[in-house]
Amino acid sequence: MMYYPSAQDMHESIRRTISAMLVSDEEIIAIAKSDICHDVSYGNEYLLLTNKRLFVLSLEGKVLEETWLKDVNMATLKAHLGLCVLVLDTRLGVKNVLFFSPSKKRIFEKLVALINDLTLNAIPASEIKANLGKELRLREREGKRAILIRLLKFMKPFWPLVATAFTISIIARILGLLPPYLMAILIDKVLVPRSNFNLLIEIIAALLGINVISLILRTILNYVNLKLNLKLTYRFRLKLYEKLQFLSLRFYDRYSTGSIISRVSSDVERIKNFLTQGLQSMVMDLIAMASIGVILVTMSPWLTLLALLPIPVSLIGSTLYRRSASKYYHRLWKRWSDMISILSESLSAFILVRSLGREHRMITEFAHRLDRYNTANIEVFKYEQKFWPAIGLSFTLSSLLVWWFGGLQVLRDQLTLGALTAFTSYMWSFYGPINDLLSQVRSIPMVTTSSERIFEILDEDLEVTESPKAKEVQMKGAIEFKDVWFTYDGVHYALRGVSLRIKPGEHIGIVGPSGSGKSTLVKLLLRFYEPQRGRVLIDGVDIRDVKLEALKRQIAIVMQNPVLFDVSIAENIALGKKNATLEEIIAAAKAANAHEFIMKLPEAYDTKVGVRGRRLSGGERQRVAIAMALLKDPRILILDEPTSSLDAIAEREVSKAIENLTRGRTTIIIAHRLSTLRNVDRIIVLERGIIVEEGTHAELLRRNGLYKRLFDAQFEGFTRPIPMPIRRRKP
Amino acid sequence: MRGLKDWIAQLRILDPKRVKIVKADVDVVDVEICGRLYHNVKPRRPFPLTHPEYVIFFKEDDEEVGILRDYRKLDKESRAHLERVLNVIYFMPQVKRILSINTSGWTYKWLVETDKGIVNFETWSRCIRIIKGKKVIIYDIHGGVYCINDISKLDTRSLLWLSVLM
Repeated sequence: MMYYPSAQDMHESIRRTISAMLVSDEEIIAIAKSDICHDVSYGNEYLLLTNKRLFVLSLEGKVLEETWLKDVNMATLKAHLGLCVLVLDTRLGVKNVLFFSPSKKRIFEKLVALINDLTLNAIPASEIKANLGKELRLREREGKRAILIRLLKFMKPFWPLVATAFTISIIARILGLLPPYLMAILIDKVLVPRSNFNLLIEIIAALLGINVISLILRTILNYVNLKLNLKLTYRFRLKLYEKLQFLSLRFYDRYSTGSIISRVSSDVERIKNFLTQGLQSMVMDLIAMASIGVILVTMSPWLTLLALLPIPVSLIGSTLYRRSASKYYHRLWKRWSDMISILSESLSAFILVRSLGREHRMITEFAHRLDRYNTANIEVFKYEQKFWPAIGLSFTLSSLLVWWFGGLQVLRDQLTLGALTAFTSYMWSFYGPINDLLSQVRSIPMVTTSSERIFEILDEDLEVTESPKAKEVQMKGAIEFKDVWFTYDGVHYALRGVSLRIKPGEHIGIVGPSGSGKSTLVKLLLRFYEPQRGRVLIDGVDIRDVKLEALKRQIAIVMQNPVLFDVSIAENIALGKKNATLEEIIAAAKAANAHEFIMKLPEAYDTKVGVRGRRLSGGERQRVAIAMALLKDPRILILDEPTSSLDAIAEREVSKAIENLTRGRTTIIIAHRLSTLRNVDRIIVLERGIIVEEGTHAELLRRNGLYKRLFDAQFEGFTRPIPMPIRRRKP
Repeated sequence: MRGLKDWIAQLRILDPKRVKIVKADVDVVDVEICGRLYHNVKPRRPFPLTHPEYVIFFKEDDEEVGILRDYRKLDKESRAHLERVLNVIYFMPQVKRILSINTSGWTYKWLVETDKGIVNFETWSRCIRIIKGKKVIIYDIHGGVYCINDISKLDTRSLLWLSVLM
């Protein structure tokens, strides 16, 4: 568990030790508890991080380890099988500070990030503490009641509609109470005495009137609810979509597309159902219970007592049911998802399944999962039978008791037949809202979970925001990375002190093994992420001071596998420039060497490219993407492995297009295929986030370093470079 | 730097007043441009759905001769020649009325009245493309293409049929 200084649940001895140890100006940032001791046995130790030092304490408060943060270069985690180690790289050497199990890894990752923020990134402790406070505030907000209140606040713009819906519902409910009362009069004053024909007509007319008005009210209510539904889902989905457009890539690294889609679709749907139907029905049920309860008591207090007997039974029964029901339902969902996963797997990998001759095995596996799903369904049924029949029986017994004692009262002339009929009718109207209420209450945990998932996105901080002093910059194309450090997870650094200057119009190649930080470098240039330390400058201006729109307008990127929108080729190319003319689109396609293939398509530039551009080949997609970049006319161009997924012929076509595209622009080419870098002015070689070599192709070959090894490996047809020791480049 | 402007400058935009279609065969034309006669020229629409008036002429060896921004500005005779050829290359019957659309399994069977006569065809459910909110293109499962030039001019019954797939 990770504690913050405000938390009160620390061991008293630890608290005493800590307060005695702190020097002046020293304040606690975080405390975390491990679950494996120094002697590699199960047990707890505390790690205490202050703004000056890092301690490891035993449960008894004994200091096992003490390190001054000024001596720490960097903190990392080492993951072994079933055991992780927090490692400090200090000026005095490497220290294995603490052991813990993989279950604690997330906590210690956060702690490592904090240590690195304090040491490597030199972020002031006050700023770190403020962020931690914010994290705590967010956690506090996650209370279920607070979420429901927040949901209600979200409905604020629609209060008039909500009020209308409630008013109509109340009127409809009141009208619904009248028929049993009229029925009682009908029986007692018309049917039993067999007289009073005029009253019969009046009652029938009143019943007809009530039904017609109820029908009209229900139609209006349905329309109001529909409008409320649509407006509410519109607001939720638009807010989520707006947020998703501006969230940083880090968010997308964390959440899968499926999870985001599920939040925008099914979670919103669930919340909508609760806010419009569920909530309305709950309030109406409470009103109905109260009003019918009063009528019942007025009619016969003794019979009302009998009628209330099943309520404690159903409350106890449903509470017991809820205790274990989630287990059964969870198993059911799990087995459904197992079945779906094998279905989707076999559909997406059907070529593999067929080529391996695994069809029958897949059928057997699918049948097995279907069986398991059916079994889970039967188990749910069996479980439900332990409760619902008993609860149902209590209602039946209660109604029989009411008929028995009520019947006796009728026989003794203490109650009229009409009154008894009306009483039983009201009694069943009383039970209905109870059952509704119970089922609505059951849905609340699901609604709060869905709300948490949605607010998680809406509350997500925008990592990359535009500074108020950001200005429009007309770029010449000079780029500088100044001592840039960057980590995706706060633990492992993708870039470590990278410094690099690129002149306007210069063509730079970036090479290095996978994971060396090549793509990270360009992502920082595009401000997809912010570096933790160091600066990225364009024409001497920090990119944080450049308007995001200006930055994106003047930098273009062509990816290894460009994704196109499912619109026409012309519309895709025109994304590069607002209001592009037809001639500009054609000229861009010609420069990108795409015009010829486009004109051979029956619908030419009006051809729809399909989802993600699937109707075009890789090379064609690439050329359309280049045309888009050309139309943008950027000052800085980034080519991320642009030809690596193409065959030799397509590569030649795309290379011609690239020549036209890069002419006169600052160009950064990321490449695995070193042949792509023949004509660049300079090649930067990255390894594990550090620039290890720099020079022209010929110079680097002569140097006999990593580049030469990569080149030789490629020439010999190997895919992996031969490992070599890291050399840190002096800034 | 050779920018986009240079590429645009290279486009040969033709003046309709100086272009004359002198002869039309099935899918090629003889065209006189600025006094020079080109034989067996292939007219092609780069934007056949969104800007059908825009035409590019190609020689037999696929070399581009020039671009006409709006062929409708040609003289009457040239325009008639060109339209005859374009109607062959871009055979897209204009739907005047939808008589019925019936579902059969995963496909939809259409019966429509077009400017070329009454025709039956089959489509998948995702077969409609709307251009600029007005024009509707219908693709059948075999590659046939049908067009409704202005959806607002369609009769109510046809619109009702069409709404099934929109």
